[in-house]
Amino acid sequence: MVQGGFHLEKKTGAPLIHIGLVEEALNLARANSLWPMTFGLACCAIEMMATGMARFDLDRFGAGVFRPSPRQCDLMIIAGTISKKMAPAVVRLWEQMPAPKWSIAMGNCAISGGPFYYPDQYAIVPGADLIIPVDVYVPGCPPRPEGLLEGILVLEELITQRGRLRKFRDA
Amino acid sequence: MLERGLEEKTYVLNLGPQHPSTHGVLRVELEMEGEFITKADPDIGYGHRGHEHMAENRTYPQFLPNMGRVDYLHALAYNQGYCMAVEKLIGLTVPERGEYIRVITAELNRITSHLLWVGAYLLDLGAFTPILYSFDDRENALDLLDYLTGSRLTYCFYRFGGVPVDIDDDFTEGCRKFIQRLRHRFADYDDLVTKNVIFIHRTRDVGFITQEQCIKYGLTGPMLRGSGIPFDIRKSEPYSVYPQFDFEIPIGEQGDVLDRYLVRVREMEQSLRIIEQALDQIPQGPIMAEKVPKRIKPAAGEVYTAVESARGEFGCFVVSAGDPKPYRIKLRVPSFGNLSILPEIAVDTLVADLVAILGSIDVVVPEIDR
Amino acid sequence: MLKDNIQKALAPLNLEQVAAGEYDKTGYHLEVTAAPEQMPEVAKAMLSLGCFLESLTGLHYPEHFTLVYHFNNFRELCRTAVHVQVPLDQEAPTISHIYPGANWYEREAYDLYGIRFAGHPDLRRILLPFDADFHPLLKKFEEKPADA
Repeated sequence: MVQGGFHLEKKTGAPLIHIGLVEEALNLARANSLWPMTFGLACCAIEMMATGMARFDLDRFGAGVFRPSPRQCDLMIIAGTISKKMAPAVVRLWEQMPAPKWSIAMGNCAISGGPFYYPDQYAIVPGADLIIPVDVYVPGCPPRPEGLLEGILVLEELITQRGRLRKFRDA
Repeated sequence: MLERGLEEKTYVLNLGPQHPSTHGVLRVELEMEGEFITKADPDIGYGHRGHEHMAENRTYPQFLPNMGRVDYLHALAYNQGYCMAVEKLIGLTVPERGEYIRVITAELNRITSHLLWVGAYLLDLGAFTPILYSFDDRENALDLLDYLTGSRLTYCFYRFGGVPVDIDDDFTEGCRKFIQRLRHRFADYDDLVTKNVIFIHRTRDVGFITQEQCIKYGLTGPMLRGSGIPFDIRKSEPYSVYPQFDFEIPIGEQGDVLDRYLVRVREMEQSLRIIEQALDQIPQGPIMAEKVPKRIKPAAGEVYTAVESARGEFGCFVVSAGDPKPYRIKLRVPSFGNLSILPEIAVDTLVADLVAILGSIDVVVPEIDR
Repeated sequence: MLKDNIQKALAPLNLEQVAAGEYDKTGYHLEVTAAPEQMPEVAKAMLSLGCFLESLTGLHYPEHFTLVYHFNNFRELCRTAVHVQVPLDQEAPTISHIYPGANWYEREAYDLYGIRFAGHPDLRRILLPFDADFHPLLKKFEEKPADA
């Protein structure tokens, strides 16, 4: 569920006045300057940090400004396992983020519980999409930094509704 | 009465569980009087994933990947501790070349863990540049380990009886280049960090830990060595092929935060020495034991093995009842004991000093919570 | 030798068993069995010799809990494992006034098994959420023979 931009009209119906160019420009601006929240829970947090560092450099996509406060960000990268004790905090942080906001579930634990899900388990919430809406899933245990970069680029495509260099990529 | 209006009351401030994601999800409840802390109470459990419950529902080989996730920064030491415990239970001996490969990879992993700690700790204190340098060096080491094991972070590389993949000349040459490069970089770190006046002011004479506190709380690792006790399992209770290497144990004098920082930086240099000697001395031969049973079913009994990880002593206590699944596995993690001293040393400090002390404990919260 | 010193210090306490362990098989230098009430005395003796508490583990058997305390020493290696059998609904005495580090270990044993420690200053859950109503590591025993 993407709030804001083109998708909003699918939920609320077409708006009275449709200023297409402004919305396109707004979405382009939002996509190219995502501000993630520092929300590393476990091992994937280290790969998220490595993505923000000099070798993989998240900053060249505009998403390198990690803010600790949820009021100042628009992207929540859930990196790591959500334990049952932590789940209320995750929901509270998600609700504290102002719209438009997006989320990426990074790593197998955030997607479906990962290696910690088994029939008798008692400790974790098997998947972030059980408690908050998730836009992009990045699999891996942990995913390589290039994987997270691809996840962010896919999210940018979702926001702007345009492919990036699609004619070169699919050739 | 006039005094009533001026009465100071303490207030409660929450540090965490979401704070800049270097330590993991730790919550510290601070009772404060102005800027000074009167009580600090760590609240753990936000990363509890049930490793010990999983251990009772998995066979011995099936539990091996968990060990890479308990402490993901020095995963190979945990792999080693668990493999050593099970090998003791079933009576397997690892051939010498396998032991050398284990030592080389574990020491490389120790260096990556300490490099990350240096960068993240300085990020906590407010310096943004050292973390970029240290992650750059770390990527070099990770490339080597990735070439050999296939993973960057959560390794599951050792098997019962040895290692599955042998090292080749590319790896050896890459290691030697990495050692040379890192040695030059230590001079950079010295100039940038260790001689930095602000850093010294923030860390000198902060967070003292006495030797009696070390014994009473069971601290291990650089926390202990910073207070002057030269206890390192690689020397005190040698395992694997560590007796064949010549290296020192750096210790601090006063037991403050700066001493612990210096201990960790000097440990990196000692790890480089160990890797160099290991690459020179490694013999030819098999890397896995000859007769590894297809079904690991140890006899009933218990075993406790201790391994020196980057954070301290990792103890693996395995109780077997003769089944293919363990009866109980207790992971004695160093951060559990190390963090339990925080309520005592955080009293009467400023919040800024608390951040410096908490960072110097080098906690990895998922290992505390298991 | 530290091993002899420990054996000498534990001799007057009349413990059930103080024997040398097989280090190559189990990793212990000394194996001690004690009753729950004797545990604080054992802890005082170990602290006076400068040993630190390495680990505290709980084990669940059909008729009782077993607490395993591991002690070690910084100056000279000597790992002592103390096995204490606690009947299922009894409380074990705390040693957190002697070893402050045991505070968190005992809270963990309470959290995972439900073993209560008499005299503990702050016995509450440490790993699971505070309002959890189960103890995760308790085993379900059917008609299995008891192994102690």
